Amino acid sequence: MGMTGGGGRAVPFINVTPLIDVLLVVIIIFLVITPLKPSRFKADIPSQRDPNEDVSKLKPNPLTLVVSISTDLQLKLNQDVMGSVNDPGALSAKLQQTFQQRREQHAYKVGMETATNKPEDERIEKTVFVKAPRALHYGDVVKVIDAIKGAGANPVGLQVDDLP
Amino acid sequence: MGMTAGSGGLQSEINVTPMVDVMLVLLIIFMVVTPFLQKDVQLTLPRDMKNAEEDTAINADSSVVISIPEDGKYYLSKKQMGLDELKAQVEKALANKKEEEKIVYIKSGVQVSYGEVVNVINAVREKGIDRIGLVADKKKGEPQVTAAPAT
Repeated sequence: MGMTGGGGRAVPFINVTPLIDVLLVVIIIFLVITPLKPSRFKADIPSQRDPNEDVSKLKPNPLTLVVSISTDLQLKLNQDVMGSVNDPGALSAKLQQTFQQRREQHAYKVGMETATNKPEDERIEKTVFVKAPRALHYGDVVKVIDAIKGAGANPVGLQVDDLP
Repeated sequence: MGMTAGSGGLQSEINVTPMVDVMLVLLIIFMVVTPFLQKDVQLTLPRDMKNAEEDTAINADSSVVISIPEDGKYYLSKKQMGLDELKAQVEKALANKKEEEKIVYIKSGVQVSYGEVVNVINAVREKGIDRIGLVADKKKGEPQVTAAPAT
């Protein structure tokens, strides 16, 4: 469009329109990239162990769910093998099914049985513990946590004592 | 300089040269400043997570963020330190916080071995912290699966 004026004579100006186009696009790209909202997985960790505590008196909770990852990236829910790190669909489905069952059977968290003022969803026992060997890559562990959170588990606890 | 051509006739186009100048300068400023805005250590966070919850507190100055990049060192914000110093600093940083705000964020590279992360977790739990946030990049454009609200 810059070359039409001047009555047949060449106009001694550079056509800057494409330059502006490119610059605007670059600025928009920058604006989009900069304010990436950070996100995170909340996880619980055990508090410091009291060496004098008598562990033998503690009763294991029958509703406890432990997802363990083996060194060959296989997943286990309690004792049952459930797919692998790269394909946690079976684990998610099983967890979802379990939580649904608990909702129907009103399997509440310890101490939440009578807390009727809280929403039903918060009272159901949905705690899931994750146990992974130290040799694993962090990325693989987070993938599994993602799948577990996706199934609705809350809170997720990391087991950090006595890891292989 | 734009008004000298055209042998006396009016030029009917906007002179964009100053705008381009300003834009170029802005662009250069952005390019120079961006690396300084990054507050912490360069590492590859876990990407494309579907169920990570957004939490703007991660970028707040007052929150405690421990980074574990691939080189196996530990950083609190931007400062590299050993595990012992880390413990002391974390305790100091969280001393004045309310109980429900005591949370330590861990940014770890995907290739870091889980054992390193566990070492850090063990260090912070000695200081009475029982909640951590594992920082991860959320998959873009995916609506968050509305699971149970966080405790």
